[in-house]
Amino acid sequence: MDTNALIAELANSATPVRRLPTPWVRMLMWLVISVPFLAVIWLVMPSDINPATAMTNRRFLLEEAVLLVTALTAALAAFGSVVPGYDRRILLIPLLPLAVWLASLGEGCWRNWVALGAGGLTLRPDWDCLPPAILIGIVPSIAMVVMLRRGAPLLPRVSIALAALAVAALANFGLRLFHVGDASVMVLFWHLGGAAVLAGLAALAGRRVLYWRHAAT
Amino acid sequence: MVVYMSESRERDQRFALLMRATQAGDREAYARLLHDLIPLLRRAVRRQRALLKPQDAEDLVQDILLSLHQARRSYDPTRPFLPWLMALVRNRVADGARRYISRSAHEVVVDQLPETFSDADPNMIDGPYGDPEALRLAVKALPDGQRRAIELLKLREMSLKEAAAHSGASVAALKVSVHRGMLALRRMLAGQDP
Repeated sequence: MDTNALIAELANSATPVRRLPTPWVRMLMWLVISVPFLAVIWLVMPSDINPATAMTNRRFLLEEAVLLVTALTAALAAFGSVVPGYDRRILLIPLLPLAVWLASLGEGCWRNWVALGAGGLTLRPDWDCLPPAILIGIVPSIAMVVMLRRGAPLLPRVSIALAALAVAALANFGLRLFHVGDASVMVLFWHLGGAAVLAGLAALAGRRVLYWRHAAT
Repeated sequence: MVVYMSESRERDQRFALLMRATQAGDREAYARLLHDLIPLLRRAVRRQRALLKPQDAEDLVQDILLSLHQARRSYDPTRPFLPWLMALVRNRVADGARRYISRSAHEVVVDQLPETFSDADPNMIDGPYGDPEALRLAVKALPDGQRRAIELLKLREMSLKEAAAHSGASVAALKVSVHRGMLALRRMLAGQDP
């Protein structure tokens, strides 16, 4: 097709578009969509946790804070990655809370090993928390994908991996509000490992979820 | 230098205004913006993919226009326009290069297509010999050394080194034997004396 004809066609098909808010605002919008759903799940699911005890447990509070910050920074990075010309350093921000989460779990493993010996580092299958974790992730992941698809698919694999990290961290945050905390090694393996696997698989599917529409036809 | 920077800023502001109008649905502003961007996009594509054929470069420019159309809601008018556009250009040019490499890996360039059909009958000349029994008898009729060389190198598909180790003959002797054996087979199968 001739370039002038293409321009005429594009111009004729142009309709008003709603501008994307900044990545920060979009991150907050995602949180506003996800948190009420998380609250509903928390109210519906039977809880093993006594809120009064949990609120005085500094370790629990620290891990919850780190999970929330990981979710928010990963969401911010994902939304930044679909804006052309946005500072690419934003993609590295989630690494910081992720490192703190990893360090806190590592420290927990060390404590368990000192207190209980090798028995404190035993891994066992823990499928009970999988269904609620998936349930919690449904609305945040749908919201995230819909929101990302409104941007430019510049780095589809990175964007989707960050989105998966954000959803996994938020699901972990929600899960720990009603699911009693396991030994650190279990959390390290199942929760962090699960988040890493999810992010990896999501990255593989990135180009199928986020793509340039004209290039796909 | 100051004049150049000021011109560049003015141009950016003009594009930003046109883009803002485009986002509001102004078709004339959109057409004008795209027309004004064409020389800039052609230069950018030529700079980043200097070896592209003119038609391929134009395809890439059109690909950038279509991408701009899809991504136009992601432009924030409070930010400069050209960095937004150039990030898009870099992405599409890199993607174009990836597509080109992947396409080239699966394509074979042929100067002249062979004048034949894929059916077996018109390709008899290039096909394998069709009478295995006649071939077996012809091989059997060869002198011992030649027969052995043909069996090892052609039928069992050994390398010269392996055949030499297996038969105890030298590599040079095997080469001579297989060459003479092939000539003899051709003559025999063509109905001549070996």
